[in-house]
This record gives sequence, structure tokens and C-alpha cells, in this order.
Amino acid sequence: MKKALVIVLLIVAAVPLVAAVAGLPPHGSPSNPTYTHVSAYYLEHGAEEAGAENIVTDMILNYRGFDTNGEVTVIFTSLAAVFGVLLLTGAVARKPAAPEIPVSMVVRFIARLLAPFIAIFAVYVILNGHISPGGGFQGGTVLGALYITVSIVLGRDEARRLLPRGPKPWLQAAGPLTFVGVGLLGLVLTGYYLGFPTTPALAWLRTAMIVVIEIGIGVGGAAVLASVYETMEAD
Amino acid sequence: MSSIFDLTLIALLIASALLAVRSKDLLAATIIFSTYSLVMCLVWMHRGSPDVAMTEAAVGAGITTILFLVAIGKTTRLER
Repeated sequence: MKKALVIVLLIVAAVPLVAAVAGLPPHGSPSNPTYTHVSAYYLEHGAEEAGAENIVTDMILNYRGFDTNGEVTVIFTSLAAVFGVLLLTGAVARKPAAPEIPVSMVVRFIARLLAPFIAIFAVYVILNGHISPGGGFQGGTVLGALYITVSIVLGRDEARRLLPRGPKPWLQAAGPLTFVGVGLLGLVLTGYYLGFPTTPALAWLRTAMIVVIEIGIGVGGAAVLASVYETMEAD
Repeated sequence: MSSIFDLTLIALLIASALLAVRSKDLLAATIIFSTYSLVMCLVWMHRGSPDVAMTEAAVGAGITTILFLVAIGKTTRLER
């Protein structure tokens, strides 16, 4: 009886959904409404107007800068939530440190060999986010993953030296801080929060603002991921 | 040719998603889930969005897998 009811409810829910999908415009057709309004404008003017050759970066940091500002804050808030759950309950502080994970010689050698190349690739992805695919989020994640690798392979004391206690909170908050800083600079220059100067003479400043935000997001993201791992692992 | 490639990837995605949900061994589920992310990364790449593909590879296949593994190490491996 209950099963029959569930099936009937599922069919009732599925019919309008399937009908709606059937009524969508054809996939990938250039005359779709999504491609004919703002997207066309962004694709045509994005590269010279927004300060980055990579249209995706134009979108997330300039045209949709507010959204990204919120996202960066969400990442920082996730770190605060992890700290709230793991540190404030006192679980980390009271217990003795967990033993190190044993690592095989092959893994250790490969990780040590690749670490510098991974670091350079991460910095390249962050600094080239306005030209090629990638940017602060992607490069920052690679940096964070590198920290975790170093922490597993070389031991957590060695890794902790990469993230010293003094500047650590500033690094963790680097994403929101630089975003708000650049936003306020835009407020001073153009009168709008996150406003980018539009005159051709200031094109270099536009690109510089984008690169500064990318660096902030990259450093902040890496520090957040590294700290989340460090906190979880030390428990 | 391209559609055969796409269909293979989608079949792999569905298979790995079902296996990850159904597996009682959380360690196996985590590894299958990282496979899912890797295939998803190929799908993004093939659909022409390298930015999303990079994020998927780094976050989906990399960081979340490690965080899941740490969480399993701190708790239990088998689902009850």
C-alpha cells in the first residue's frame, strides 16, 4: 500500500518535470535565450572591458564580483565552522597528538621530487588566471593539497613551519580581506564598491586589481584548506 | 565518435555514483567517489570548460578525498 502510494507520488512529480525538460530549447543552439542577451555582450566586450583576457575570470571577478566576494567569505566561514566544531569542544587540545602515518619510501621519494614542480604550477595557475584557465581558487587548492602532501610525507612539524603561527590568521583571512580591500579601492576610484576603472589609460590598474584578488583568493584558499586538514588530523 | 566517448563517460559516472552510494565499506566508497570526480573532470574538459575541470580535479578528486580519508581514520571504516 505504502509502496504503491510512493510510486504514484513519484509519477505525479515526474510528469511535469519531464514535460518541462521536453519544452526546453534545443541543447547548444545559438539562438537559445541564454546565449542572446548578456552572454553575447560579455563575449564581445569582456576581454577589453573587464581587465582579463580569460572571459571566465572577467565573469567571476568583474561582472559577477559580488557573488565571488560572497563565495570567498563562505570558504572562510567553513574554516570558522571546522574550528568551532573541533577546537571549541576541546577535543584537539586535551588528547595527545595522534601518531604519524607511516609512508612508504617510494611515495616519499616521488612526493619530494614533485613538490617543487607542484608549487611552481600552483603559482603559475594563480598568476595566469586572467590569461589562461585557472585562477585563485584552482591554484590555491593545488597549494593546499601540496601542504597536505608535505604534512603526510615529511611530518607535521616540518609542514607547520610553512604556515607560521604569527601570520597564519592573516593568511587564512587573505581571500575576504583582499577582496574587500580591492572593492574599497574601487569605491574610491569609481564611486561603486568593486567598481573597476573603465578608461583605457587605467587598463593596467584594472588588470592589477584582478591579479591582486587572484593572489588573495589563492593564498587564502590554500591556508584555509591546510588549516582544515591540520585541525582534523591533529584531533 | 565524440558521442560514444560522452556516453562512455556518462555510463562510468552513473556506475561510480551508484557504487559509491551502495558500498558499505566507506574507504572503498571514498576511492570510488574520487573516481567519479576524475571522470566528471573529463566530462567538464570535453564540454569545453577547463576552469571547472581544474577545480573538479583539485577539489573533487584531491582535497575532499583526503579529508574523507582523515575522517574515516578518526572514526570507523564500516557503515553501521
